Amino acid sequence: MSKATGTEHMAKGHRAVDGYDLYFGPVHPGSGNFGVKLTVEGERVVAARSDPGYLHRGFEKLMEYRTPMQNAVLSDRLCILESLNWNLVHAEAVDRLCGAEIPRRAKCIRVIMAELSRIQSHIIWYGVLSKALGFDTGFKVAFGYRDYVLDLFEFVTGGRVYPAGYLCPGGVRRDFPDGTKKRIEDLLVTMEKMVLEFEAYDSRTMAARCHGVGVLALDDALRLGATGPVLRACGLAADVRRDAPYEIYDELDFDIPIREEGDALARSIIRRREIGASITIIRQVLDRLPAETLPPIKPKVAVKIPEGEVYVRNEIARGEAAVYMRSTGEAQPYRCKIRGPDLLHMIPVLEHLLVGAEVADVPAIYWSLNICPADMDR
Amino acid sequence: MAGVNSEQQRAELLEVTGLRFAVEPHVAADGTMWISAEHERLPELLAFLRHNGFAHCSAISVTDWPEDGEFELTYHLWSYEDKILVTVKSRIDREEATAASVISLWGPSAGIHERELHELFGVSFEGNPDLAPLFLEDWEGPPPFRKDFDWRAYVREAFYEEGNSREQSYWD
Repeated sequence: MSKATGTEHMAKGHRAVDGYDLYFGPVHPGSGNFGVKLTVEGERVVAARSDPGYLHRGFEKLMEYRTPMQNAVLSDRLCILESLNWNLVHAEAVDRLCGAEIPRRAKCIRVIMAELSRIQSHIIWYGVLSKALGFDTGFKVAFGYRDYVLDLFEFVTGGRVYPAGYLCPGGVRRDFPDGTKKRIEDLLVTMEKMVLEFEAYDSRTMAARCHGVGVLALDDALRLGATGPVLRACGLAADVRRDAPYEIYDELDFDIPIREEGDALARSIIRRREIGASITIIRQVLDRLPAETLPPIKPKVAVKIPEGEVYVRNEIARGEAAVYMRSTGEAQPYRCKIRGPDLLHMIPVLEHLLVGAEVADVPAIYWSLNICPADMDR
Repeated sequence: MAGVNSEQQRAELLEVTGLRFAVEPHVAADGTMWISAEHERLPELLAFLRHNGFAHCSAISVTDWPEDGEFELTYHLWSYEDKILVTVKSRIDREEATAASVISLWGPSAGIHERELHELFGVSFEGNPDLAPLFLEDWEGPPPFRKDFDWRAYVREAFYEEGNSREQSYWD
């Protein structure tokens, strides 16, 4: 196996058939700010090495210098694609340290926004996977529908992608504006229509490119640290929302889709069904939404976080998200460790799945994991 | 974050681990379990937990306590069967920051956390074959997440020019 890159290899007069290094990313249109170095022999990948760090911003260190309300805004940026879910994990960590009682209406709003964020994230995943498979229609349809959700985010939080710490310690920054409930109900009808459209494509395009590709066995999934849809596609019904409920998830009745196959198709079927499950959750929460009015929460100066430590886990669209927060009684946390699902999915799981795959299957495997470099690099 | 139906299992686990390792586990208000252990007993304790259902190593973290001259390692473990979250804490010397790797227990999922902590805190994990740099490129400075690394001073000196009026606020 040659150590030279493909170009060097060919410059020496060799034909590029007996093994060379191939970079997938970080400038590949579909890779995100992340690369993986593949060693290829013929059409087969014989070794893969992830190359993270392009989005490393040192959030854990930055948070040690900022107050919880400032950190709530930072927590948006932990994952561009599902900022509201990360808002919630951070807010819960501070709430538990402070022993804060969250008003029931605020808890309901948190769940609604987190589930909408999950739907929105799954839509992006669907679009990008379609794009990676060369199915441009799916990409355009998905991103078209995503804008309906972003319109609602803008209406409620003021931001389309980054909600500026809308789900903040103590509850939510401000109550739903008038007419939000009706808008969400209408949005859910649109989302149901979208799921049907996705299903119609699934049986053909997705199945043709994803069936039997990137198979992950359950014991490997556990050993490599897979969580969320990737783990559930291997046959384990593990979901933090049900196993260790937070907010009001213990009152809600919802499906946790699982599959046994562990391949890219199973992962995509699970995510599509999860959109349906999120729609049922939001409907149930809308029915329970108390009619009180919440006062807006404004950042206060010099509020200290009581001494203590917590480890808070949430189920976000990509898997298990967690925050370990240690406070020494100052206004800033002493240590804030952020555990995102993608550190595990993008390094051990991805490297494991790529070895032995065909080069043409690399994008399908890569995007079937729904990876996001932002919460890996932090 | 109490798991469902986990009261009984948690009580049993508390008793067994407490007796066996002479530690005093406690249960926090949110239902999570916390155990502090001496560093010498850590490998044995973690192996015991691994073989008693804690199949998921959710995260490994380090907290820097420069005034005590110590690093605190925290292992956050989850049991898919009993739905219990346990955090095991142990302190190691800050000067000779070395701990035994838990790759043999949790495989690559623990290995990647150790690789990250090696880069950001300079803690060495014996038995981990891959502690190559992860996020930082060509970094030769001290491990940047240590409390005594002044990143503001570093950024100012590396990226801003003293005497440049437009960048003066970084030097005031």
